[in-house]
Amino acid sequence: MKKIYSLIFFATVLLSTVSCSDDDNNNAESGPITFEFDNIVGTADLQLNTADNPYTNSKGEVYKLTTVKYYISNIKLKKSDGTTYTDPVKPDGSEGYYLVDESDAESQGVTLENVPAGEYTEITFTVGVDATQVDQGAQTGALDPANNLFWSWNSGYIFVMVEGVSPVSTETDNAFQYHVGGYKEDAASNQVNNIKTITLSFNGDSAPVRAAHEPEVHLLFDVNKFFNGPGEEVTFSASAARHSPKACENLSGNISAAFVVDHVHAN
Amino acid sequence: MRNVLIFICGALLFGCSGDSLSPAEDPYAFQKPENFPDAAYTFGNNPVTKQGFELGRALFYDPILSRDSSIACANCHQQHKGFSDPLHKFSRGVNDASGFRNAPAIQNVAFQSHFFWDGGVNHLDFVPINAIISEVEMAEELGHVVTKLGRRTLYQEKFNSAFGSPSVDSQKMLYALSQFMNMMISGDSRYDHHVRKEGETLTGDELEGLNLFTAKCSPCHATDLFTDGSFRNNGLNETFELDSGRERITEFAPDRGKFKVPSLRNAELTSPYMHDGRFKTLEEVLDHYAQSVKESETLDPVLRQEGTLGIPMSGEEKAKIVAFIKTLTDRNFTSDKRFSNPFLK
Repeated sequence: MKKIYSLIFFATVLLSTVSCSDDDNNNAESGPITFEFDNIVGTADLQLNTADNPYTNSKGEVYKLTTVKYYISNIKLKKSDGTTYTDPVKPDGSEGYYLVDESDAESQGVTLENVPAGEYTEITFTVGVDATQVDQGAQTGALDPANNLFWSWNSGYIFVMVEGVSPVSTETDNAFQYHVGGYKEDAASNQVNNIKTITLSFNGDSAPVRAAHEPEVHLLFDVNKFFNGPGEEVTFSASAARHSPKACENLSGNISAAFVVDHVHAN
Repeated sequence: MRNVLIFICGALLFGCSGDSLSPAEDPYAFQKPENFPDAAYTFGNNPVTKQGFELGRALFYDPILSRDSSIACANCHQQHKGFSDPLHKFSRGVNDASGFRNAPAIQNVAFQSHFFWDGGVNHLDFVPINAIISEVEMAEELGHVVTKLGRRTLYQEKFNSAFGSPSVDSQKMLYALSQFMNMMISGDSRYDHHVRKEGETLTGDELEGLNLFTAKCSPCHATDLFTDGSFRNNGLNETFELDSGRERITEFAPDRGKFKVPSLRNAELTSPYMHDGRFKTLEEVLDHYAQSVKESETLDPVLRQEGTLGIPMSGEEKAKIVAFIKTLTDRNFTSDKRFSNPFLK
C-alpha cells in the first residue's frame, strides 16, 4: 500500500511537470511581474514600533503599530484581451502563497516569474488561506505554521494580523490585537468564512510583461481603512482583542476596501 | 487523464514490484482492518515509510519537543494505557502546569477527521502543534523545536533518511509524527477476531453485552471505530460554565456542552473518563447514563426519550455491557514493539 501511495505521488509529480511545461517557461514570451504591497495609515507611510502614537483612527483614538502581516494567495492576472493567467498553487503551500510582513521589506514585493507576455490590466487575489489548502495538512513556505500565523486550537491561518498599542485599550499594556481568520464555512454550526477575494483594475494602466521588462504594480493597504470600513468601525477602547473567526466577522468586511492599486511602473 | 494516471502508475508498479514487500508482509505499510471504514488522512501528501515512521517514533518519545526538555508526547500518551494518561484527570505540562481536559487516547487516528474533545483541529498533521505550543503542555515555540532538532546529528540523519534532506522544517516534523500515529491502528481485539470470524468466541455474557450495546450505545459509539465522530452533549452538566466544549470552536450556542464522542476501543485501559476525567470506572460511566444525566437545552435527544432522561439499564445489563466493552481491549496494540520507546534499548 505504501508503494502505491508513493507511486501515485511520483506519477502525479511527473504528470504535473509534463503539464507545466506547456507554459512559456524562461523564453522571450514570458517574464516577471512584481506586486509591491505598501502598507500605509491614511496618508502616512506605515512605521512599526514608533516611540510615540503617530496614528489616529476614525474614532479619534491615537495608536502605534507593532505588527502588520497578511496572506496573499490565489493570484489571477487579466490581460487587456480578456485572457487570464493563474499563479500556480502547490498542495504543500510551497508555491502560490505569500506572507506580506511589514517588518520584512523583501516580503512586501511579491514577484511572479515566467508570466506569459502580455498587457495586464487587472489582478484578483485572496486575502487569507482557503479551506482546500488547510485540509491538505502540514504546509511549508509562507504557510509554515512556525511563522506563527496559525491558530493551533482551532486549526487555520490568521489571514490578517494587526497589532499595536493605544492608550485607550483596556487590555494588558494597552495593547490591541486584531487577528482575522476563519475559513470553516459550515451551515450546521454557523461557522464563519472570513476569506476575501479582491479584484482590482490597474486604473486604466497596463503592466507590460515581456522577457526584457520587470513591471511593478504598487498596491496600498491602508490600516485606517482596515479599522473603519463597510464591515465595522473599530473602537480600541471597547474591543481591542479579537482572536476568533466570529469576533472578526464584521471586521473582515473592511479588508477588501483597504486594498487599492496606486500606480504601475512599466519599467 | 485518469486513464493516463492509471497507466503510468500501473507501468511503474510493474516496474518496481520485484523487490518490494506485499502490504501484509510490510510492518510499515498502512493497512485498514477489513471491518473499519475508509481512512480520512491525506496519505497522497504524506505516505507512510519505515524511515518516516521511525523519525516520528523518535519525536513522539523525545522531550526535546518541550521548552525545558521535560515533557514528551509519550508522557501523557502511554502505550500500556492505549496511549492515554494513566495518572491524571488533567495531564501535567512544563512547570507542572495543569491542563483542563483529559488527555485522549491515541488510536485509529487515520480514520478521524476531527481531533481533541472540541474538534477544533481538523487534520492529524496539526495535532502536535496544539500540544507543543500550549502553555500548559509543552510550552514551546514551533520554530524553536525545528531549530533544536536541526542541531542534533541524530535528527539530521533521521530527517535525511526519511525525507532525502538533513534540513529540518515543521512540515517534515509534523509529517513524521503523523506517519507514526497513522500506524497506531488498534483493530486486533477479541471483538475484532469475533467479528472477522477469526476463531474467537465471545462468552454468553459478552455476546448479550454486545446486543445491549448495539441497542443502547451504538447510536453514538457507531461503526467498528466505536464512535460516529460527532459532537454531543451527554448530560454531564447543566450550564457548562467551566468548559463550553464545541461551542468554543464554532462560537454557536447550540453547540454548548457538546464534546466529541470518544472511541471505546481500549476503554478498559483509558480511565479516567469524560472530557473532565470525572469518572474512574466504566461502571461509573454507565451509572451516569442510567441515572445521572442532567437536563440542558443542548442535551442530546437520544438521552431524552419519551420524557425520560438517560438510558434505562438494569445492574445486570450494565455488567454485561462492561464485559463487552472489555472485549475491545487490544493487548497486541498496547504491547506492539513498533510503537515502544526507541530510546530504551
